[in-house]
Amino acid sequence: MSLYGWLDRRYELGPLVRFLQHKEVPVGTHSLFWYYLGGLTLFFFSVQIGTGVLLLVYYQVGEQTSYESIRFITTKVPFGWLLRSLHCWSAHLMIVSLVLHMFSTMLLKAYRPPRELTWVTGFVLFALALGFGFSGYLLPWNELAFFATAVGTDSVKAVPGIGDWLMQVLRGGVDVSGNTLYRFFALHVVILPLATFAVVGVHLLFIQRQGMAAPRGHAASRGMRFFPDFALRDLLIWLLCLLLLASLAVFLPYGPRIPGVEWELGRKANPLAPAYPGIKPEWYFLWVYQLLKEFPPHLLRIEGPQAALAVVTVLMGIWAVVPWLDRRASREQPSPAFTDLGVAAILFIGFLTLEAWDIGGGAAAQPDVRAVARACAILTLIGGFAANALRFAFFRHTWFVFTGAVLLQAALHGLAGLSYLAAGSIGAVAAAVGLVLTRDRPALAGKKR
Amino acid sequence: MPPQSEGPTRRSVVDVLLGAGALGFLASIVYPVLRYLKPIAPQDGAGALRLTRDELARLEKEHSLIVRHGPTRILVFEDPQQRLRACEARCTHEGCTVQYVPGESVVWCACHNGRFDLDGRVLSGPPPRPLARWVAQRDPDGSVSVAKSPEGSA
Repeated sequence: MSLYGWLDRRYELGPLVRFLQHKEVPVGTHSLFWYYLGGLTLFFFSVQIGTGVLLLVYYQVGEQTSYESIRFITTKVPFGWLLRSLHCWSAHLMIVSLVLHMFSTMLLKAYRPPRELTWVTGFVLFALALGFGFSGYLLPWNELAFFATAVGTDSVKAVPGIGDWLMQVLRGGVDVSGNTLYRFFALHVVILPLATFAVVGVHLLFIQRQGMAAPRGHAASRGMRFFPDFALRDLLIWLLCLLLLASLAVFLPYGPRIPGVEWELGRKANPLAPAYPGIKPEWYFLWVYQLLKEFPPHLLRIEGPQAALAVVTVLMGIWAVVPWLDRRASREQPSPAFTDLGVAAILFIGFLTLEAWDIGGGAAAQPDVRAVARACAILTLIGGFAANALRFAFFRHTWFVFTGAVLLQAALHGLAGLSYLAAGSIGAVAAAVGLVLTRDRPALAGKKR
Repeated sequence: MPPQSEGPTRRSVVDVLLGAGALGFLASIVYPVLRYLKPIAPQDGAGALRLTRDELARLEKEHSLIVRHGPTRILVFEDPQQRLRACEARCTHEGCTVQYVPGESVVWCACHNGRFDLDGRVLSGPPPRPLARWVAQRDPDGSVSVAKSPEGSA
């Protein structure tokens, strides 16, 4: 232990070692599974750094070189195809584990005091991850990248006041061009990683100071030592996920070929070519894409896309401040309204995503939107009723106002043929009425009785 | 406790000066960065654009073509009556690039299914505004020129 002794005399490692020895994970009647998802997201992020740095060795940013260098990496460089495939797969799996982590935190109310800021930093990390996905998408400079970036950067026009300025700053010009490529490259490999390191650092610091949250009503009966008991379990899961990642990357190097989850290089971007039929963004942006399609050209004197993005911004804003809205959870009381809000968010996004995939539209190039809406509404209704039946059976949940409103909207839009927005308005009114009617029930969140 | 004097104290004056100095210091950093990030305005495409021989050949073969004129991309196409028409190629919805669909006599955006008539007016879908109109005409010598429409958008 001479090296340890040498370091200890200089840096006084004793308190740090004692802290790590006593670090515990709460163990009770709840499942430990949810505690692994944050670490798993971090694992995929570290895979992204490793594979990303290796891709940088050959990648050359530029209108004349980006596409060519990616093609060179995947066709000529030994194992280049594997690295790109790993980078793409790991990106998608990182978003999957991040989203699961976020929804498990939401549904188990781990955001309640004193952990509000852990939730907020997590939300910022979610936004950064979306930024990584969006900026990385352009770097191969292929057709899909070009239009995805054209739409994505165009949407910032909707920001009041500085929208046009922001769009030009993002694009480095009026249109998506080689200048956009340079800017997105800087964003993807320098700015976003630095920001992510900083925020992950704060996120982890909060967790180290406060320990992991036990679900409400599942007071931890004992703790599991983090070192080595929990850390080894973590490691095992990382190894299993690395195996999964490697298998997927080897056997499906261009993704599962579902729209939104594929990364075939395709044709080089050509700013003078029209968008091709069936073009779709990545799966985690599909719900926004579909919302943009569902909104009419004009709504309440503002333009449709601006209204659609305002709705997305408001929903995201509500999501970010959930710890302060959920006043019952902050008093360690049941808050079924927020549990229902989490499930409703999944159903809301799920319905739009299914529609974006043209489920039920057959193989036609331009599927019948009515048939798609009907099929997707039926699937959403089945999923929603099944989820609520399971919640009632296993957790004795009885408050279904928000999920009910989302299912009402799906039914009105898909089965009764109302427009998405009209159905949504009726759903919103129904939710408001439901909130008022159940206000006096002891199980409702928010209102003091 | 010393009596509270009316008006500014020495402390509050120093605070204001310090605050103003700090703001000015920040602004002197932020302003150049913001100006640096804003791209230089492109040269406006002045006057008419004449299609090259290659572009003419493509127009002949595919009945439509997208050309760049200064910062603008313009869709030039031949309608069923063999008349040349032109409109801005950038969809007014979310900025995708539109295309001419000869079979249906519409201009269509594949991204969010916006449809326009041949004059650029919205037929269906989410686009909030018509496509800006341009004028394409065949000159006596067989060449094609594209210029801004005098009446602007449809």
